[in-house]
Amino acid sequence: MASIARKNLFEDIPRFLVAQAGIMFAVSLVTIQVGILDGFGRSTTRLIEQSDADLWVGAQEMLHLEVTLPIPLDRLLQARKVKGVQRAEALMNRTVVWLDSSDRIVPARVWGFNPEGQLFGQFKFVSGAIADVKQPYTFITDRSNLASLNLNQVNDVGRIVPFKAKLVGLTEYTQSMSSSASLFTSLENANAFGGGNSNSLNCVIQADQVQCLNPNGLAATALDQPQTPPRRLNPADPITYVLVKAEPGTDLQALKRDLEAALPGTRAHTKAEMTEITRTYWRERTGIGFILGLGATVGVVVGMVVVSQILYSSVSDHIKEFGTLKAMGASDWVIYRVITEQALWMAILGYIPSMALCLGLGVWTVAAKGIVILITPVTAIAILGVTVVMCVGSALFAIQKVTHVDPAIVFKA
Amino acid sequence: MTASQINIADFVSPSTCATPSTEDLARWQRGVLERTARQAVVAQGVEMTFGSGAVSSTVLQGVNLEIPYGEIQLLMGPSGSGKTTLLSILAGILTPTAGQVHLLGQEITGMSKEALANFRLNNIGFIFQGFNLFPALTAAENVEVALRMKGIRGKVAKQEAQDLLRQVGLGDRLTFLPRDLSGGQKQRVAIARALAGNPRLIMADEPTASLDSHSGHTVIELLRDLAKESNRTVLMVTHDPRLVDVADRVTHLEDGILVS
Repeated sequence: MASIARKNLFEDIPRFLVAQAGIMFAVSLVTIQVGILDGFGRSTTRLIEQSDADLWVGAQEMLHLEVTLPIPLDRLLQARKVKGVQRAEALMNRTVVWLDSSDRIVPARVWGFNPEGQLFGQFKFVSGAIADVKQPYTFITDRSNLASLNLNQVNDVGRIVPFKAKLVGLTEYTQSMSSSASLFTSLENANAFGGGNSNSLNCVIQADQVQCLNPNGLAATALDQPQTPPRRLNPADPITYVLVKAEPGTDLQALKRDLEAALPGTRAHTKAEMTEITRTYWRERTGIGFILGLGATVGVVVGMVVVSQILYSSVSDHIKEFGTLKAMGASDWVIYRVITEQALWMAILGYIPSMALCLGLGVWTVAAKGIVILITPVTAIAILGVTVVMCVGSALFAIQKVTHVDPAIVFKA
Repeated sequence: MTASQINIADFVSPSTCATPSTEDLARWQRGVLERTARQAVVAQGVEMTFGSGAVSSTVLQGVNLEIPYGEIQLLMGPSGSGKTTLLSILAGILTPTAGQVHLLGQEITGMSKEALANFRLNNIGFIFQGFNLFPALTAAENVEVALRMKGIRGKVAKQEAQDLLRQVGLGDRLTFLPRDLSGGQKQRVAIARALAGNPRLIMADEPTASLDSHSGHTVIELLRDLAKESNRTVLMVTHDPRLVDVADRVTHLEDGILVS
């Protein structure tokens, strides 16, 4: 049996294509906004989620993963003595300046960890291996950072001012969208890189004037000159977090309390709490959730307007035929079904190419820009629901028009 | 008073003419029932006024009409005389301001909107001057839509639609879209659609007005044959004098009043 809805839809192909383009735009906009929001949220907490630590112990002033105060390495040693701690490792986070081969500076963030540890660094490697960062002044980074760091491949060299630094590995899915380029290395390297900014100007006061031998801090080490290896850490060196793996069966809340009592000036968070703190910060305090949500809402509104107009004009074009059905004795529900079916066809035929487009776009943005448009099955189903509601909701205007059609119009030529 | 009018005075004995007795009223009711049962269409005192107060316009005044089963009734009259309004009322599409309409022995003026729609669906086929076919559907699909509305579906509906189109001489145009058909062919598709589900009443509004002479003649013959062969009652509103020859009865309407 012929579907009046489907045939009406395909009767005028150019108009149908315009309608589908509008729906595709709306669905794509919603999907991308939601995908970016989810991807952003996921990316900001990726390092936490990838770690194998049960607890993260940091300064009690911690705002989120990347904004906190340092704690001494001694806290690591103290944590290892707390009952219930199976393993504890240090994690160091430093803000540095990357200087590429074209003397262009790029803000970067160095993460120092124990390459022989178990709680951090479970990265997906594209090339290289985690042990490679045990070499002095080496680092690994997400491959999406290659362009921003002006690097081409492993073994390329640049500067983490003032040190020369060698890329020894590339990873995937380790870069936060909210953060500058993350460079992963050993604790010793990170300590050196992170401390390298201080006193690098080599300035002295002579005859009441400041004389700097290295006015911009860049000339400290030429790329072809050997560097003194980073020194070993001592208990007074600043780190950022102590990652803790609890013994099996340990009550994490009790262990948190014990750690906070044993480690002055610190606060312990479970992995889930740390994730939530960081995600909430980025979503709410930066307004990014609101902005992306607003974009998604605009997409829905645009979609509703487009579908409303198309359905309304389609119904207006066929008002006499609908009036004929009513005159012949069709109930209002028969006509509602036709219009609703038309809306559903529009929803499905708009959704499928939109989702394909967004998935393709997501693959490209991850590969090219490191920006994750996260479209989970749940998100995809939810957006299908939104699309259906958007299209069927838009049909209400058309249904309203048909409801009020006077069947007597059929007798007017 | 015309012969077709039903008036209580016909049933009232001379001695009690001033005040009808209970017996008179009962006789009157029996008479109405008997007469409506003999007629496919009975209209009694139908009036139609659009608007209200100073801007009201009375389109029909005291229209009484009876159409026996199996007859072709023409309703003629100048433009604005109320023909289409009367047709709409007799088809149960408009509700009259006053009066009663009985179709196939049932009073439709008191029916609910849903019951009326159901009555139309099961008993009346419509033919329109503008054909009113779905342009995106083929000839067969346009007929199938009407069959589906009447609960006939699937292969049965497909076969029946094809049979109806063959009956109106369009067996070779089943898959044609309306835009690929001539005016006469479109009207024949509309006739096939009107015949879907074998309704006992056909209501046609200017069925030949949009057709050339040849097509008009074909449609006229088709309507006559369909009415006579299947004992259907056909009510046609028309200006076309060619239709007078096929009609059993012709009634003229002027300024909302039946004049003959």
